[in-house]
Amino acid sequence: MIATATSFWITGIDARRIDVEAHVESGTAPAFAVVGLADRAVQEARQRVRSGIKSASYRFPPERVTVNLAPARERKQGSGFDLAIALAILAASGQVESAAVGRVGAAAELGLDGRLRPIQGTIAIAEAAGRQGLEGLLVAPENAVEAGLAEAVPVLPAYDLYEAVQILAGQADPTPVPAAGSEPPPAGPDLRDVCGQPAARRALEIAAAGHHNLLMVGPPGSGKTMLARRLPGIMPPPSLPELLEITRIQSVAGTLNGHGRAYARPFRAPHHSASQAALVGGSSLRPGEATMAHRGVLFLDELPEFNRAALEALRLPMQDGEVLISRAAGSVRLPARSLVVAAMNPCPCGHHGDPRRECVCTEQRLASYRSRISGPLADRFDLRVAVPRSEAHGAPGETSEAVAARVLAAHELLATSPADLEPAAERLLADACDRLLLSMRARRRMQSVAATVAALDGRPAVGEDDVAEALAYRVEPR
Amino acid sequence: MSAADELRVVLAGATSGVDAGRLARRYGCGSLLRAGPGTLQRMGALPALIDGLRLAREADVAAYRGGLLDRGIECATVSEPAYPERLRVLHDPPLALFWSGARPDAVDPPAPAAAIVGARKASDAGLLLAQRLAGAVAEAGGVVVSGLALGIDAAAHRGALAAGGVTVAVLGCGVDVVYPRSNRAVFEQIREAGLLVSEYPPGTRPATWRFPARNRLIAALADATVVVEARARSGALITADHALDLGRDVLAVPGTPGVASAAGTNGLLKSGAGLIENADDLCGWLGLDRPADPPPLPPGDERLLLEALREAPALPDELVERLQLPPARAAAGLTRLELAGRIARDEQGRWRTG
Repeated sequence: MIATATSFWITGIDARRIDVEAHVESGTAPAFAVVGLADRAVQEARQRVRSGIKSASYRFPPERVTVNLAPARERKQGSGFDLAIALAILAASGQVESAAVGRVGAAAELGLDGRLRPIQGTIAIAEAAGRQGLEGLLVAPENAVEAGLAEAVPVLPAYDLYEAVQILAGQADPTPVPAAGSEPPPAGPDLRDVCGQPAARRALEIAAAGHHNLLMVGPPGSGKTMLARRLPGIMPPPSLPELLEITRIQSVAGTLNGHGRAYARPFRAPHHSASQAALVGGSSLRPGEATMAHRGVLFLDELPEFNRAALEALRLPMQDGEVLISRAAGSVRLPARSLVVAAMNPCPCGHHGDPRRECVCTEQRLASYRSRISGPLADRFDLRVAVPRSEAHGAPGETSEAVAARVLAAHELLATSPADLEPAAERLLADACDRLLLSMRARRRMQSVAATVAALDGRPAVGEDDVAEALAYRVEPR
Repeated sequence: MSAADELRVVLAGATSGVDAGRLARRYGCGSLLRAGPGTLQRMGALPALIDGLRLAREADVAAYRGGLLDRGIECATVSEPAYPERLRVLHDPPLALFWSGARPDAVDPPAPAAAIVGARKASDAGLLLAQRLAGAVAEAGGVVVSGLALGIDAAAHRGALAAGGVTVAVLGCGVDVVYPRSNRAVFEQIREAGLLVSEYPPGTRPATWRFPARNRLIAALADATVVVEARARSGALITADHALDLGRDVLAVPGTPGVASAAGTNGLLKSGAGLIENADDLCGWLGLDRPADPPPLPPGDERLLLEALREAPALPDELVERLQLPPARAAAGLTRLELAGRIARDEQGRWRTG
């Protein structure tokens, strides 16, 4: 007898439907095979499913069982098909009604004791289940809140395989889905902790208000990382659709911690040894750091130490807000609209230009350090500021809350009115481009930074002073 | 001595990688070319040079010169009138000089010429000063001579070019070889607006022994040599020694006592070199018009900032704190001063007046 259950697999940050067909051939010798380009984790599902079915006090058919994952041409991975495989086998061996199994989707891993375990990407799966017109989605209790966020399909949380079958047979009511937790997010680090650094603080504010990528150049210990960590806290609060996007990505990546949903903009700080696949995604079409930082901040500390190819691969997401990954297994487009903040030392030893400590780098090392940042990459940083070692031990600075209020106002102003250049501002910009040999791209960059500066001051028109200030944020990472 | 023979000896020296100048001055180019291998060996020629001379004996010099001209390169040997007068005073003038660029007149200019040399790895302050000195000399109509090395040399060339002036780069390789490669942009600009010269035929690769040798040309082409920043055993001091031998002025920029990167220049000052603190000083030594004082600024942020920077170079943050200005206004004021050419920024972000 043949029966079919429905499950999903994740590619990129989307879920695709998989039909899990089970065939039980009566009168044959016992055997259990899974076909349909299944990876190792799926092959191992055989052991989990066999034990799970027995632990739930059902009978594993003592005949030849063949499970096919359709469409067969795509390479599938993960453990999220366990429940669907078990249900298909139970239906094919007449232990549960086939029609009931066919009406719902199943996305959970099975434990040897038959209980359902959570998997990654449940939001995307729930959305896909809704699109497929399924009547419900069986998930592990831990995934229930997450699946419910999609509001696409009735969520049927079940503790174990036995309960799942009872729900399908109409003999048990599914546990009601708890509402998404609404506790306020834990406050991130506050700008108040940063003493001094007025210029860098100002640059941070402009970056947050106008979504300008920021490059900070300064000696070790000058507070570059400290500043970057405080950026998500002053950016405009994420809108509800943005939060859902963030949650969805974190759900797929498995970084959603406990709450079942995200509350704040992400802050990602990959180490400089990160590979190209880790940064922009690639291995098995999984999202990379650029996508995990979507709608948040991607912080690249020690920028020149990053793998050159990995950095160049970041140029596209920095420009278009998305990454395109192509692999043998297929290609996916992933959102990657993050604010990129990078930090670098002025030289490998970190003391070039420091009046108190002599730089010990040779010319060659210095030249090769600087050449690691290509012109086109440097061009994608609208704001480039020097962050000197701070001398000030004085009063703590403004709070993140105060800065965030100005940023939000500027952000709204920028969104509503196009910025016009006053004639004097236009003249100054043209003059500066002549004298400082700025490229057209640099000119556009300066103009957009000037617009943000004006907006922070509450003015829709860009004045001469705004342009003059924008021009100050162009320290070259020579 | 015939010019053709001299050029042949130069080519022999280049193909064999040996300096033939000393032998040529002693025995004459004609006899070097005519001598047999045994005689040459007794004269002290190395085997490579003997081979090179044998090959160069029949070289078609006219065709060679024609080929160079097609590539925009000219040359003159020491017996030809086009050879720069300034080089003839050397006790070991190069047998031939090759040049390429828009200003062939720059090697024998009527105007004063200053050599500005110094460390390859220089401080930001040193680079900025080199640029300013070169700019002032070029603006007043003088010529800036240097060696197109990294650091001070390149900064001097850049300063002269930025002021729209004339600059001469003396290379330790052929005038068609860019070395170091990171100076490609300056190299091209100098060819377009100044002059690249070398005593080595085009195509000669850089070699360590050629760089000290070209320093004597830098000293000879200039009326005064300024050393901006140099360690105790810097190549720039060789240039200063040559200038002294030629009886030209040797000038140096003082540095902090006890700092390694200033040991060379402070040593020169101790032994009597002229002291250069700013562009005014240098123009005074060269007899050039001093750069006109820029008009005073109207009161406002910019004037406050400029006055603060005259006292000491400072970071924007330090200015913000000292003057109690909002960071935005300080940034705008500094940009305006920069556009007016009053201040410049080093790569640490520290602003300073020129």
